[in-house]
Amino acid sequence: MIETLVGITPFVIFFLLAGLAIGCAVAMVTQRNPLYSAISLIGVFVALAGLYLTLAAPFIAVVQIIVYAGAIMVLVVFVIMLLNVEEEVRRPARLRYLVPAAALLAAVLFAEAAFVFFFVGDPPAAAPGGPAVGQTVSIGTGLFTTYLLPFEITSILILMAIVGAMTLARRTAVRPGELDVPGAAVWPLHAVAPGRAADAAEVKAGTSAEAAHALGLGGTPQQKE
Amino acid sequence: MDWLNNTLGPEVTRGLFQLIGINVAFVGVLMIVAYTVLAERRVLGFIQGRLGPNRVGPGGLFQPFADLLKFIFKEEIVPDKSTRFIYMLAPFLAIVCALMPLIVYPFGPDLHIPGTRITIPLVVTRFDVALLYVLAITSVGVYGIALAGWSSNNKYSLMGGLRSAAQLISYELALGLSLVGVVLLSSTLDLYSIVEQQGGWFGLHWNIFRLPFPQIFGFVIYLISAIAETNRVPFDLPEAETELVAGFHTEYSALKFALFFMAEYVNMFTVSMLATTMFFGGWQGPGVATFPVLGVVYFLLKVSFFLFLYIWLRGTLPRFRFDQLMNFGWKFLLPAALLNLIVTATVVFFFG
Amino acid sequence: MIPLKWYLALSAVLFTIGVAGVIVKRNAIAMFMCIELMLNSVNLTLVAFSSYFRDASGQLFVFIVMTVAAAEAAVGLGIILAVFRNRESLDVDDASLLKL
Repeated sequence: MIETLVGITPFVIFFLLAGLAIGCAVAMVTQRNPLYSAISLIGVFVALAGLYLTLAAPFIAVVQIIVYAGAIMVLVVFVIMLLNVEEEVRRPARLRYLVPAAALLAAVLFAEAAFVFFFVGDPPAAAPGGPAVGQTVSIGTGLFTTYLLPFEITSILILMAIVGAMTLARRTAVRPGELDVPGAAVWPLHAVAPGRAADAAEVKAGTSAEAAHALGLGGTPQQKE
Repeated sequence: MDWLNNTLGPEVTRGLFQLIGINVAFVGVLMIVAYTVLAERRVLGFIQGRLGPNRVGPGGLFQPFADLLKFIFKEEIVPDKSTRFIYMLAPFLAIVCALMPLIVYPFGPDLHIPGTRITIPLVVTRFDVALLYVLAITSVGVYGIALAGWSSNNKYSLMGGLRSAAQLISYELALGLSLVGVVLLSSTLDLYSIVEQQGGWFGLHWNIFRLPFPQIFGFVIYLISAIAETNRVPFDLPEAETELVAGFHTEYSALKFALFFMAEYVNMFTVSMLATTMFFGGWQGPGVATFPVLGVVYFLLKVSFFLFLYIWLRGTLPRFRFDQLMNFGWKFLLPAALLNLIVTATVVFFFG
Repeated sequence: MIPLKWYLALSAVLFTIGVAGVIVKRNAIAMFMCIELMLNSVNLTLVAFSSYFRDASGQLFVFIVMTVAAAEAAVGLGIILAVFRNRESLDVDDASLLKL
């Protein structure tokens, strides 16, 4: 009895992790609140890291958590919080005639996939005692000998990404007459209204739009929810 | 042990022992954390010229249980407009990510019980990428704080949460890079092997003193990053009472606040354990070869020293302003860690 | 041992869910997240093949893909921020100035 339980454990773990991955992926697509989508995507990444562990690739599993769940998704969550993204509003469905076409194409894709799955053979059993593929040593050796050029190119790629992100995200001072966006930084008075640097009267306002209006910089004090 | 092996099979036996090991480590850490809280209040009291809590039990030794009872019986106040799921999720995320790295730390050498063939390894599990696992869990721990700040629907919580999360992700870079120097010296990411290599030579083989390149610089960078990672003074602006009410855990009450509180102290404990394992020889010390139990004693002594250092710093230093904090992390600590890495790599290549 | 086909099937399902998400969603950040899901499903295929054929180049490729995805995330979110600043809306249907 113990032997069957031990033998069945890899399948149980695979189904649990695969179910978690698919469930979180479907949740991500169907959720309207983008923060819940982001959290579901983190769940997908953690499930995939578990699957990499079952495939005997511990280095890739941990790097997946560090890079995807720990860095990229933190960036996405920060952007969602900064921009205060709201839920998606359900709009009436248009182009209804495309739905049967989509179903047909999906069926064709499914047939192709089923064909491929039935005819992909099992890989030949490798000789036991061969080099361990998933360990850090083999990945490190490969990165620094055979694949040195892609490694160096990715470092330049990351440099380009840093420069690009900083250029895109840089802000100039709000000019008079321009509306400010939610989540904006607090600017000193002389940057916002150069002619009124000496005027230090207090302005009571709830949003930056109201403050801009009260300072006479134009724009309407709309309620931004 | 052989009887267990024969009835249950080797994998199940190993799993059973690991389960027992996890439970022992979990309970041990919670006890140590509870008494760290008490120790902090007493030591801070002495630094500030007063006595800490000393009424409950002899010298205040039952204070943690009194605190636990208080937390259990407090009223749970949930803010009305918060997003419920994330509000409930955040403290659990924080405490889970604080407790998960415990399984890779070696608390001592293998214990051989004399007279039998039983060997008890004092580490729950060893695997190839243990150090990266610790860094990965630290990266995921950021979410607990950011989501807590957001879901409380409170300006001060949000600012505290975002600031704290930004501080954490800035300093975890310097943390990781300062540890790579040790990895270069030890040629492995496995914490058990790193501790094993630091034996002998009367402590001169500890990674902080180890030739070809003693990692003193790396240790200082690691210590500063670790204090920033755990949100302790002088880096605790996001949860300072005078600045932001209580930061990201303003709106949490009773048991959820207790979870955040515990998560902070478990984090402190974890980074202290990582510091002793990577830089101060873990369980190595005089006489460990003959009495392996002394290894556990030395490990706990070294970790206690680091915890005392944390408490001492809390009583002594003022806190950084947030822009000073970010400047320091990005413009000084990260280049310093990179410089340490380059110099270590060069020295190991030429002299190692 | 779990057959290789099951991992490939799971990867195909995740990829399809990602494609459906990109088509259905209107929020720019949600579309970006579905693209990341597609990249991850391909990573799973690569790691599965690398494990079953005992070739390390699959996992090396996954490493490079993750790095490229991180760089793409930084720049992509910067673009989304810039577009939001100009249009006050993250809806990709609203970014249709070049339409006839």
